[in-house]
Amino acid sequence: MPVCEAVRARAERVLDLVAGAGASGDLIVSEGTSLSFKARDGELEEHKVSSSRIFGVRVLKDDRAGIAYSEASDGEALRSMVAQAITNASFARSDPDERILDHDGILATDDALLCPTDDTSLEEKIDAALAIERRLAARAKVKNVPYNGVLDVAGDRHVFSTAGLRAHSRSRVCSAWAYALLEDGDRNVLDGTSRAARRFAELDIDAIVDETHARCLALIDGEAVPSRRYDVAFDIECQSALFGVFAMMFSAKAARDGVNPMRDKVGEAVADGALNVCDSPRRSDGLRYTLFDDEGTATKTVRLIDAGRLATLAHSSATAAHFGLDPTGHGVRSPRGPLGVGVHQLNIEAGRESETALASGEYLEIVDLTGLHSGANPVSGDFSFGAAGFLCRDGERRRPVRNVTVAGNFYEMLKRIAAIGDVERWNAARSSLMARIRFADVAISG
Amino acid sequence: MIESRTARSVIDHAVSLGADFVDLFVERNQVNEISTLSGEVQDIGSGIDFGIGVRLVYGTRVLYGFTNRTGAQELERIVSDLAAKDRRDPATSARSFDYRDVPDVHRARRTLARDPETENKATWLLAADRSARAASNLVAQARGSCAQREQAVEIFNSEGLHVRDTRHYVRARLTAIAADGSEQATGTATEGGLKGWEIAEAVDPEETGAEAARQALVNLSARPCPSGRLPVVIGSGFGGVIFHEACGHLLETTSVAKKASVFHDRMGDMIANPVVSAVDDGTLVREWGSINVDDEGMATERTQLIRDGRLVGFLADRIGSEQTGYPRTGSGRRQSYAFAPASRMRNTFIEPGEDRFEDMIASIGRGIYAARMGGGSVQPGTGEFNFAVTEGYFVEDGRVRYPVKAATLISTGPDVLKRISMVGNDSALATGMCGSVSGAVPVTVGQPTLKVDEILVGGNA
Repeated sequence: MPVCEAVRARAERVLDLVAGAGASGDLIVSEGTSLSFKARDGELEEHKVSSSRIFGVRVLKDDRAGIAYSEASDGEALRSMVAQAITNASFARSDPDERILDHDGILATDDALLCPTDDTSLEEKIDAALAIERRLAARAKVKNVPYNGVLDVAGDRHVFSTAGLRAHSRSRVCSAWAYALLEDGDRNVLDGTSRAARRFAELDIDAIVDETHARCLALIDGEAVPSRRYDVAFDIECQSALFGVFAMMFSAKAARDGVNPMRDKVGEAVADGALNVCDSPRRSDGLRYTLFDDEGTATKTVRLIDAGRLATLAHSSATAAHFGLDPTGHGVRSPRGPLGVGVHQLNIEAGRESETALASGEYLEIVDLTGLHSGANPVSGDFSFGAAGFLCRDGERRRPVRNVTVAGNFYEMLKRIAAIGDVERWNAARSSLMARIRFADVAISG
Repeated sequence: MIESRTARSVIDHAVSLGADFVDLFVERNQVNEISTLSGEVQDIGSGIDFGIGVRLVYGTRVLYGFTNRTGAQELERIVSDLAAKDRRDPATSARSFDYRDVPDVHRARRTLARDPETENKATWLLAADRSARAASNLVAQARGSCAQREQAVEIFNSEGLHVRDTRHYVRARLTAIAADGSEQATGTATEGGLKGWEIAEAVDPEETGAEAARQALVNLSARPCPSGRLPVVIGSGFGGVIFHEACGHLLETTSVAKKASVFHDRMGDMIANPVVSAVDDGTLVREWGSINVDDEGMATERTQLIRDGRLVGFLADRIGSEQTGYPRTGSGRRQSYAFAPASRMRNTFIEPGEDRFEDMIASIGRGIYAARMGGGSVQPGTGEFNFAVTEGYFVEDGRVRYPVKAATLISTGPDVLKRISMVGNDSALATGMCGSVSGAVPVTVGQPTLKVDEILVGGNA
């Protein structure tokens, strides 16, 4: 394809400059287009389109790494980028563990799967945005739908290295969302839902409308419950967000840097024995499906917690070399950043408890968490969030709950698992696949 | 950064398709970042972001596109795509550009374009690192970072506006990690401003490191926080995040125009305790949230939001002003060319009162002193907000007793504004990043120490 050839030619020039400076290196080129619409009062409020391209180089010279990036792709900009990276490397610490892997050859993913052709027209996408807002606005008690929209993002990602790696992947994600404000006398609530898929036509607009309205109606009369300890079951969105906030516990880079409290606990029990967690990057029904990481290392299913024991951390080549292990296919790098470590598709495996058993007796079902970015400390494990949900008994929602906080220590909470459900579900972004967990004895303040 | 004739061509094209208003936002953002760990330089990165955002307005409908492929042909293609559904006969004609020189009241000396000063920054961060780790054997780790950027913007619009501005940002941070057995705790000290690296001349790295270590050690010794509805004294400086979240976002026309703010129809009403007066001021010299002109090219200003408890002002960008009828306030801001501008806060603070810290603490039977706050968030439609306490103390019988950890404060804006009963005279500002519809922008929050009579404290005791 002409675009790929143009990128490839520029990449070869960049890598020639790197090699000419006596260094090794890799280059990530990320290209993308996006299209989005938002509606307001029955009309299109915002229409946004974009096209972008960024080059990001990492050089290794004398065991020192330097990075630089450029959104300009003319010859002078790319020469300047390489020169900056070489200069930056001269100030960095010596780290013999970080190197360019000997991967060569061509790697590619299945474009037809990850970036399917979608013949949904512009008009149909606009109609979808308008329909979400119009249908929700017509529902009972809905004052307005201040946050709504549809988005179609497609991108190409290339990784080139001086060792000869030529990797390319293409992806597409379509999404739609709606957050409605409901009012009933003095009471109000703002809540919503979203969906994501690879084809626009797979987005279930009716489900977004129905689910958003149902959530808001169910929560609007919510009140605080007395402060004490409850059993708590998060919905899949909240549970996925919670594990995401504390994902550093699986990072070998954080362990190497001395900030991961799990750094000396591989092989030890860190959770209840019923908990099994793995990374499943090759589940193609997830939207973070990937066959290779950003160093070109093949991905595979990696068991992270096995029957409550920390089985391994997630490794890039650099952390693996540091700990004397093999890379696990978790090297991640954005064009703007250094080599890091990241989990692709976190999977909490189904447990033995039926959904009915999971919901036995009294518990608090939490369906909304606020303050996730500020109320958690992954180093200590301490957290405190605003929360909303339902006080339940035997699977039945007895009363809506709002204006409460949920607090504790996440790493301690993993040891107080009362039950794990036997059904795995994707979150709305289809980035993590989880069975629901019921945690025992969690502090709720109201 | 782009030739005027290119801008002229793109704007003329958009006007020919019937747009009522068109503007171009051209941005070149140079970045340099350095991080340290364990007494060594860990990562160094640098780069240049460059792109153009084009906005077409039909009535109050916004069409926005951006690209970093910057030829006129690509820009006109984006304009044509955007206008495909709205094109009509021209309703207006574009005026000739009238270039306006913007006085730079935030001039920086040690700029990124002049010299990244990588070695000097590393030396500063490593001095802070040593200071933190020397504070106690319990300080097990220290992470430092310094980010400097130089954002050059050029704005053209169909009304003939043509301005350029350059903004110099620098922020240095040290995080200390204290450990005792399996317990770990963190403390962070941050310095920053709308400045160049001359900030290093005014800030002692050893004090920065010592402060981070002090916080980490306090938090390591902290006990679980009591919970429930309690009186809370909120410290000065970053404590101002309470006003930012509880009220500031609700006064942006981004929310007001959609009637997604609980204050959208409260102009002129008493919305706070009479001891509360609040301001959003983009003109404060070299403060982190200041600007010369906003991202729509308007000179920024000082905006009184609340005076003696009464709502007297909203923050309005161009579209927000047209939708609500409230005047523009030079508050149209965006993270980068990838975002359309929206009304955003700049330096937002509660004005000083007359109460003393000692009197606030003495007035509490059982409560919390939140000496330092973390970030927070708000739902403007309901006013529900939350924010984290990063250094807190239990207060009993009028005395500060012991440090507490992992606390979040939640309430609603209308409720908490009425429960602010005491305002101190020790005003201070602190830097932060604020995320909203137009991305993450630098903002300053600030306040004197103040007392809230009752707020829900979420603890783990």
